[in-house]
Amino acid sequence: MFDLFSDIFTYRDNALTRIDPRAKLVIALAALIAVLTAERVVLPLCVFGVCLGTVATLRIPAKLVTARLAAPLSIVAVLVVIQTFFTGTTPLFAFTVAGWHFTAKAEGLRQGALLGARVLGSVSVVFLLSVVTPAHRIFQAFRWFRISRNWLEIAILMYRYIFVLMDQVADLAAAQRLRLGYTARGRAMRSFTALAGSTIIHSLEQAKRTHDAMRLRGYRGTMPFGPLPALGRRDRLITALCLIGIVSARLLEWGVSK
Amino acid sequence: MKAIAVTGVHFTYDDGTEALSGVDFHVSEGEFVAVLGSNGSGKTTLIGLLVGLLKAKSGRIAIGGQEIGSLSAEELYKRVGLVFQNPNDQLFAATVEEDVAFGPRNLNLPEEEVQARVTEVLTAVAALPLRGRAIHHLSFGEQKRVSLAGVLAMRPAVLILDEPTAGLDPAGEAQMMQLLKKLNREERMTVILATHSVDMLPLFANRIYVLDRGRVLQQGPSEEIFCHQEMIVRAKLRLPYVSRLMYEMKRHDGVPIDGLPLTIGEARAQLLELIPKEMILPGIEEIGP
Amino acid sequence: MDGIWTKKRYASRFAAVVAAIAGVLASLPAPAFAMHISEGLLPASWAVLWYVVAIPFVALGLRELQRRNEEFPYFKPLVGLVGAAVFLISCMPIPVPTAGTCSHPCGTGIAAILIGPGLTVVVASIALTLQALFLAHGGLTTLGANIVAMGVAGSYVGFGTWLIARRLGVPWIAAAFLAGLLSDWATYAMTSFELTAAFHAGSSFSAMFSLILIAFVPTQLPLGILEGILCAGALRFVRNRKPELLRMAAAGGAA
Repeated sequence: MFDLFSDIFTYRDNALTRIDPRAKLVIALAALIAVLTAERVVLPLCVFGVCLGTVATLRIPAKLVTARLAAPLSIVAVLVVIQTFFTGTTPLFAFTVAGWHFTAKAEGLRQGALLGARVLGSVSVVFLLSVVTPAHRIFQAFRWFRISRNWLEIAILMYRYIFVLMDQVADLAAAQRLRLGYTARGRAMRSFTALAGSTIIHSLEQAKRTHDAMRLRGYRGTMPFGPLPALGRRDRLITALCLIGIVSARLLEWGVSK
Repeated sequence: MKAIAVTGVHFTYDDGTEALSGVDFHVSEGEFVAVLGSNGSGKTTLIGLLVGLLKAKSGRIAIGGQEIGSLSAEELYKRVGLVFQNPNDQLFAATVEEDVAFGPRNLNLPEEEVQARVTEVLTAVAALPLRGRAIHHLSFGEQKRVSLAGVLAMRPAVLILDEPTAGLDPAGEAQMMQLLKKLNREERMTVILATHSVDMLPLFANRIYVLDRGRVLQQGPSEEIFCHQEMIVRAKLRLPYVSRLMYEMKRHDGVPIDGLPLTIGEARAQLLELIPKEMILPGIEEIGP
Repeated sequence: MDGIWTKKRYASRFAAVVAAIAGVLASLPAPAFAMHISEGLLPASWAVLWYVVAIPFVALGLRELQRRNEEFPYFKPLVGLVGAAVFLISCMPIPVPTAGTCSHPCGTGIAAILIGPGLTVVVASIALTLQALFLAHGGLTTLGANIVAMGVAGSYVGFGTWLIARRLGVPWIAAAFLAGLLSDWATYAMTSFELTAAFHAGSSFSAMFSLILIAFVPTQLPLGILEGILCAGALRFVRNRKPELLRMAAAGGAA
């Protein structure tokens, strides 16, 4: 029913899934900063290419890649069009549709393309991160970055129970459809609110049972976390190399822009 | 020594439903006891009382010889562990390892001890290869076993299970029951299971309590319990299928059967004695014990 | 304003831009995801600024969580589960008549009524992080901006509406409708504001703000109404079936 997390790939064993999540998070963050501060399209597009190439090497299904990139890509298209026609001063070409004049402008096109490249570059970085790191390892890495413990506890519970509630809701939605609950607009809206309402009921009841189960295993209001393993030498080396690569690429771009 | 001693317990829910009226329930250390009852018989309420999720209105509940009210939460949960019917209630961490480690970490054990326990209990439930897996990627049977491991990691003296075989396929059901038997016979763990499926019980349970509308109808070894056909029907239960067959043959066809066989093995032994020798071809195929 | 934009041409351009944006938004595969500002879209300085704005609100919510968890030990599981439910509701496709496609509700209105605005910000920040990481909706760099729009603006406006409407004696079902409606619109207004602030360079702020706002109207006007219906309908469903459960949450006074 829902196109949701496809985290099955993150449990594959490959060179990237073996890297410590903290290292991957730091590298991804550096890449994001480089992309976001880039002043020309080249660097973001290179990042996009590298990430997409890596994703292809990992044999992530093209269907998933397009599903994830569809929304950002259409945003890029809109951006390029809007910026090209509505900002800037140097005309490139012009045309008329139904009495409206449109003039494409060089600065606008450049600005739009840069924004678009940044979106593509950064989306691909995060996408790559998400297909090689399971959620619980990212939460683990967040602990190392001193993200609030309470926030993480809620995040862990939320992530786990999204799947449980999803199963229950999917059954319910199927049952509604079988009884023609979505055939007319009014009825569809009623079915929809019933679906949302019963999701809430399920969640509140589940909260009570889950808390009971937690209590029986010694829960007293704080989830215990295990110790964080030390960052290995190999992971530190990989992080250092990647950071050097990203920084030099960014500096190179800065030199060229000047 | 009594592992569990419940005497004259009454319990009424906030909405006025009287779930238990004067229940006596005793379990000795190392016993394997089944609480048999239909839906709404009070099984779940009884379990809730035993693990301290519910508080009895009147009557006494003692765990390991001590009044339940006098036990601290930590002491109580080292004495009794509950495996919920729905594994989703109980598996709240992201991975198998983190979930099983939840209990030991709450006991503030050192990390090596936590890891040792995780390995030990996952091995015990035949789930060690699942250690690093995400909970939502497990099959239902695997989830059931992992939730059992999570409770075992607390090392409770008494293990209580609510419908441990509900929703499992026949192979999963057999595996779960064998596992519980092993824990009971080899680890000397006291096991109490609430269920309404009767077929497996005679093979495993030392004693059965039959619960109906908040009262204990009868308790005793399975041979005794299943002799009382009318009582079983009154409790909205049934005999094991093989016993039902033998019962019908005895009653309607006059086949001379001693007592009432409860398991396939017993029934087979009796039938072999009754069937003329010339009709039996020995050694056609060896059947396991 | 640019010299070449004379008054008349400005008007026609304005109409053209609105038509263009609205047209593209309506034809997007999932128009609602335009609601979250996409990864990499905001310039670094703006991304940082919105983080700075968002963090105190999240911290405030976390403090409330800690306090109420001490009072009710089941509170963290409760917030986690309500969060999971709201996350799922926000993934449910609802048909938008004007766009001819399906869109998605925010769910912040109903969440604010159930667990209060502070905790809704916390839940929204987690939901947005999960979406940014695993679904490429919104983004890590734009997380701050999206928390401010969906979490802060959506939940405080939704909760404020609910509270004021109830004080004024409005029936709860109408109050819930208004809370859903206004929380949705507040989220859109805030998102438009953030986009404008980052991209109005060269043209006037108010012109671009109203431009983006108007562009959202064809999809957002009906979507807000649907969100209001959803909020009221879901609350009615829970109140009819299991009113006692609402007391568990008991933050927004929904019971």
